[in-house]
Amino acid sequence: MAARAEFLERIRREVAKTPGLFGACAAPRPAVPAAAAEAIRRELAERWPEALERFRQEFERVAGVFHRARDLDAVPDVIAGIARERGVRSLVTWDPATLGFDTAPRLTALGCSVVAARAGQEDEASRLRHRADAAGAQLGVTGVDFALAETGTLILLSGAGRPRSTSLLPDVHVAVFGRERLLESLEQVGVMLEDLHVDPDRTMSGAMINFITGPSRTADIELTLTRGVHGPKEVHAVFVEAP
Amino acid sequence: MSEGLLQTPFPERASAALKDTFLQEALTIATTKFIDLRKEAFAGFPAGEALRDRARAIKEATLQHLDVHLERLADNVERLGGTVHWAATGEEAREIVLRLCRDRGVRMAVKSKSMATEEIDLNEALEHAGVTPVETDLGEYIIQLAHEKPSHIIAPAIHKTKGQVAELFSRELGGHFEADPEVLTAVARRVLREKFLQADLGITGANFAVADTGTVVLVTNEGNGRMVTSLPRIHVALMGIEKVIPSMSDLVVFLAILARSATGQKLSSYTTLVRGPRRAGELEGPEEFHLILLDNGRARQIASTLREALYCLRCGACLNVCPVYRQIGGHAYGYTYPGPIGILLTAMLKGNESVRELAHASSLCGACKDVCPVRIDIPRMLVELREHLDREKIAPWTERMVFRAFRRLLLSPAAFRFSARAGRWLQPPFVRAGRLRGLPLVFGSWTRTRDLPPVAARTFREQWKELR
Repeated sequence: MAARAEFLERIRREVAKTPGLFGACAAPRPAVPAAAAEAIRRELAERWPEALERFRQEFERVAGVFHRARDLDAVPDVIAGIARERGVRSLVTWDPATLGFDTAPRLTALGCSVVAARAGQEDEASRLRHRADAAGAQLGVTGVDFALAETGTLILLSGAGRPRSTSLLPDVHVAVFGRERLLESLEQVGVMLEDLHVDPDRTMSGAMINFITGPSRTADIELTLTRGVHGPKEVHAVFVEAP
Repeated sequence: MSEGLLQTPFPERASAALKDTFLQEALTIATTKFIDLRKEAFAGFPAGEALRDRARAIKEATLQHLDVHLERLADNVERLGGTVHWAATGEEAREIVLRLCRDRGVRMAVKSKSMATEEIDLNEALEHAGVTPVETDLGEYIIQLAHEKPSHIIAPAIHKTKGQVAELFSRELGGHFEADPEVLTAVARRVLREKFLQADLGITGANFAVADTGTVVLVTNEGNGRMVTSLPRIHVALMGIEKVIPSMSDLVVFLAILARSATGQKLSSYTTLVRGPRRAGELEGPEEFHLILLDNGRARQIASTLREALYCLRCGACLNVCPVYRQIGGHAYGYTYPGPIGILLTAMLKGNESVRELAHASSLCGACKDVCPVRIDIPRMLVELREHLDREKIAPWTERMVFRAFRRLLLSPAAFRFSARAGRWLQPPFVRAGRLRGLPLVFGSWTRTRDLPPVAARTFREQWKELR
């Protein structure tokens, strides 16, 4: 505590010399984040088709693969198609209750092993088992909390039944979302993040938010772009058409 | 940076770099590519200019109340169950990490790229204490295997060829690997995946920390930042105090310009927001989260000459456009932070004396200021640094004397006229191919590496008189 007090005192002394030097201000923030977020949702309820088209373009520009599914029931078929094409034998998924669909029946019929994280599992044994499953899986299925059109970005909140590694450890990441997830701009993302953090214990069950813009990439050797250095080599987005 | 390198004076380090033909080629290719990518990214982004102004205003506003924001950040991190450490110096920061390793029995630490940990030489300290640090950013991993230091803020291994990397991997990892970036990347993926799963401790820096929510933000392309913050049981984030920003609304402003400035991407592949250790219902994530707030010379610049250098986002854009960096690369600078901003950061962290040579490693052309996402006036600060070096008599006496004489000359029209005439009369033996070279006496140290235009046959003043 002494370190903290001393540390801050030193900074306070320096800061005291600056008032009036700069007429600066931080970014404007929504006065009532919930209202601002609601306004954006209302606007997007009208404009989502344009946002979706922009998302698809940007997502493909960062090497994402875009798919459509008629409704949630059709999603396992799309995933089965991706799995079959790549010879995938093992999957991990977020909790089917969170996703709104269960891939297991369709994929096990194809001969794949499917492990779903379940909200409520958090003892040490499940932890270790899940880690081994996630490390061994070739394909991971997640939902999406926001799909940002401007940059083709998938934004995922971690939490109960939504492990962080499902979109990270497998070679292929498949993310599934509907129209209500679409946002147009980073500025709107800012509003949503403000809104989420008003009462984070209620809105988020996890400690991590990931913005995912295409597959893992590096250009560290002679600036040659190479995909899948640590994270997924492929990212697929499945858009569910039914509202 | 190794002591050995710093024992050679800067001009020698620079000429060695100039003679390294591979380095020259690599630098040209890399910096030109980064410049083009950045230009393209901002060309298609009309909102960019206004966002840069806003980002700068946010940095100014935050610094003006830095104490308040840091307290808020610390309180929030603690509320989330994290531990906050306050490190006034690099040594204190190292001690905090080492103590943690000792207390928790840590044997191996995986690291995602962090200039702050480079700044405090954390890896050496860890090794010394029997903890194996593993750099996991591909570029950092390569230079760690080669026992070298990063030569660019965001592309640490641009000075190496794929052939050199293949040789290095074959020797260090056992095997025979083709000189193909795809193959070599796959090798690193396999080797480092094991490390991520085994390590007890993950160490990261922070691109931003949001005071309002207690969130540490990491921006990466490879996904190693996510691995390091998701798999080991302890996560330690080390950040300079200037990285704090007030709110999520501020964060998105910076995100919009950071990747565009660095690599020309709209966003990097991964932006990771970490809010303390894992929550009760989570299957994954560290059980312990530590945030180390590092001062190390930063606080004393808040109201001082190098204040603006505290706005730096570490995007590397100023390196790519700098005519000096483009010629000599990062190693010749001799310290953790290379390039134009690196000179200022070095002065901040190590004192003005440490840059008595480097303060002059700039043509003051202003390209760095033009591309800086937060418009840091680097040339102005370099001039102020030079002034300081002169005033404090840190600069060599010959240099100070020459500049004093030059000042006299410029202040007196008669002396200026006379010197032009004298110069024209004395210069013929030193004019070669239309340039003044190889001047005698103290002037020689100027013309050894530079040339000057000769005094014109008829000076401007003489022509002006006739024109009137």
